[in-house]
Amino acid sequence: MHSIFSRINNVSALLSSCMMALFAAIALSSFVFTADPKGDLGLLSVKVYPASGAKKAHSKQELAFVNFNVTADLRPLFHWNTKQLFVWVEAEFNNTKKSENAVAIWDRIIRRKDDANLKVSGKNKYMLRELTKSFKNAEPAHYTLKYNVMPYVGVLTYGEAARTNAPVEFPLVQKRV
Amino acid sequence: MQDYLEGKIDFVGQQRVEEVARVVLISTTALSFIVGFAMQSLAVTFGIFGAVTAVLLLAVVPPWPMFRQHPVRWLGARASN
Repeated sequence: MHSIFSRINNVSALLSSCMMALFAAIALSSFVFTADPKGDLGLLSVKVYPASGAKKAHSKQELAFVNFNVTADLRPLFHWNTKQLFVWVEAEFNNTKKSENAVAIWDRIIRRKDDANLKVSGKNKYMLRELTKSFKNAEPAHYTLKYNVMPYVGVLTYGEAARTNAPVEFPLVQKRV
Repeated sequence: MQDYLEGKIDFVGQQRVEEVARVVLISTTALSFIVGFAMQSLAVTFGIFGAVTAVLLLAVVPPWPMFRQHPVRWLGARASN
C-alpha cells in the first residue's frame, strides 16, 4: 500500500471480488420473479401442398402452411435483469417412425417491455416439413407458444405461454394452388 | 520525478487507505444492489457502483497530504565509541 501501483492493485483486487458478488446477487435475484404469463394460440388454418425438394428440384416433398393467432401479454416477464425475450411457435408431432418432431415455425425477438403485449395474426416464417417428406403418416400436431427469457446476467429460463387445446390433424395434400 | 510517480505514503496512511477501500467497496456493492433492485434498474446499480468506484480511486490512489501526516522519525545518528 506504500506506492501508487500497490494501492491500485489492492483496490482493484477487492473491486473484482465485489463485482463478482454483485453479478451473482443480480443473477440470483431473477429467481424471485416467478411470473408465468399465459396467452392464447389459435389456429386459423393448416394446409399441405406439394413442393419440390429442398436440395434437388426433381425430388418431391410436402410443405405445411399454418395460419395462426397469438395473443399473449408477456410484459410480466420483463424485470430489471431481462434483456430480451425470444418467443416462438412450435409444432410438435410424431410420425409412424416414432420420431418426435418439434419444429419452430415462427419466432420473434422482443427487446422492450412495450412490445411484449403480443397480438399477432401470422403464418409460418419457416418451412414446416416432415422427415419422411410426407405428412401422410404424421400424427395430429400440438402447437405451442414458447418463450425464452434472456437476462443481462444469469441463466436462460424457458416457459410455455400457450398450447392448442386439442391436437390438430394435418389435412390431405392439396393440388397446387 | 521518480518519487512523484511512486507516490509514497506513511504507515498510518497505508492503514487508513486499506480500511477506507474495504468499507467503501463492500458497502457500495450492497447499496447499489439494494437501490437498483428497488428501482428495478440495472443502470442505477452500475451507475452507483461505477461512480463510487471512480471517486474511491481518486481519493485513495494519489499520495494526498492527509496520508502523509505521520512521517517516520528516525533517531539521529549516534557517534560510535
